[in-house]
Amino acid sequence: MERTFFEWVGYILGHYGSWFLEGTAITLLISLLGTIIGFLIGLGLGSAKKLPRSSSKIKNFFLMILNGLITCYVEIFRGTPMMVQAIVIYFGMQEFMGISFSPTIAGIIIVSINTGAYMVEVVRGGIESVDPGQMEAAKSIGMSHGQAMIYVILPQTIKNILPATGNEFIINIKDTSVLNVISVTELFFVTKSIKGAIFRTYETFIVAALIYFVLTLTVTRLLKMLEKRMDGSKEFVHASSTMPILFLKKPGEKNGK
Amino acid sequence: MENNLIEIKNLKKSFGKINVLKGIDFSIKKGDVSCIIGPSGSGKSTFLRCINLLDYPTSGEILYKGENVLKNNYNVDFYRSKVGMVFQQFNLFNNMNVLDNCTIGQVKVLKKDYNSAKENALKFLEKVQMSKFIEAKPSQLSGGQKQRVAIARALSMDSEILLFDEPTSALDPETVGEVLKVMKDLAQSGLTMIIVTHEMAFAREVSNKIVFMDDGIICEQGKPEEILVNPKNERTKNFLFRFIVGESG
Repeated sequence: MERTFFEWVGYILGHYGSWFLEGTAITLLISLLGTIIGFLIGLGLGSAKKLPRSSSKIKNFFLMILNGLITCYVEIFRGTPMMVQAIVIYFGMQEFMGISFSPTIAGIIIVSINTGAYMVEVVRGGIESVDPGQMEAAKSIGMSHGQAMIYVILPQTIKNILPATGNEFIINIKDTSVLNVISVTELFFVTKSIKGAIFRTYETFIVAALIYFVLTLTVTRLLKMLEKRMDGSKEFVHASSTMPILFLKKPGEKNGK
Repeated sequence: MENNLIEIKNLKKSFGKINVLKGIDFSIKKGDVSCIIGPSGSGKSTFLRCINLLDYPTSGEILYKGENVLKNNYNVDFYRSKVGMVFQQFNLFNNMNVLDNCTIGQVKVLKKDYNSAKENALKFLEKVQMSKFIEAKPSQLSGGQKQRVAIARALSMDSEILLFDEPTSALDPETVGEVLKVMKDLAQSGLTMIIVTHEMAFAREVSNKIVFMDDGIICEQGKPEEILVNPKNERTKNFLFRFIVGESG
């Protein structure tokens, strides 16, 4: 009996729908966690790269080494394919250190490290795009470098780099497909298995393509909404002129360090 | 000279091979208002930025209450919290509303609890007539409003001295007045201030001392009448002459 294209798609969804759902869930889990952890890695190392030089030579020496290490990390993980990294890390860990992860955990680690390498440079650029006057103002009221970063610079940086982070997320949704080489049961791996079971390459992969597309499209829309929300409303409320303003004591008597 | 709040001795600053400050001696007492005038590029702003160490001096001494702030291990952050600064470009924290701009330093640097910080901030926002705008983000304010909030932010830290780096140069002529009025009130209330400005009439009115800088040195300093009316230094004369001609022509 010969089925038409749509009959095949219906057949696949009917029999293997739950497989696709599970694969999609794993893909989303790995790419979401990988993006979040990678974002945090980028935020940490990107900020470390912008640490100010100190007057002590020893501190500067360590800063230099730290900077060198971060640069090595970025160059190595940006300069090699994630598929190769996956195999090297997953099988390398097993062979030489006897550590074995479940493929999914390994997948999350690999995507995180990979995303982190890209995010370091994104964060560095994001920090540099914040007006230097913001740092100066923070210092002028006595904030330390760390306080200025946490309360003033990084909140503005994060807003600046949100689009780039969303981009990484979308890339990750698609690129987790390379994790099939270490048998992570993500969407691509599942699709390959289904194809192996029913010998219909075209129809099976059309379904996978559609799922990937819907995922990325949804994420794009969600990120747009998030960006709009972070921009805030253009209006503000005037505080009422009858608002009680209390003058209870003289300012600042007890604030010495 | 024990009662000098800040005393500066032979302060030098160079950026690479360019010597911007070539040995500045200067002092200010509590409650005094000094205005620094001079042509662009004379080192006025660099001098001001050296005072609160935003630019670190190459050599010299800065004595704050008799203690050299340039010696090793001096708590620079603490010193900066005592020496407030108002910038030409306002530099309000863009990610915070007006009230948070005025409380963040008190809470995080001075370790005050939020409610007393808020109370203090509201008092100074009221003083600069910005207490209606506490919910507004900096991007929603005009230049003059931003600068008034910036002044309130500096005041909220209960600083001993306030440095003003051309606070009205980025404002349009109409809003200059509102900022200058706030500064005049502060001067009258006994706040110690060092002001880099091009507003000669304002400088004459509020200051006890006018400092004329050119080419990295202080050419002349003294009472406003002496400097502005009877300058002795050739360069001061030239500068003021051009100023008068420029204003009337």
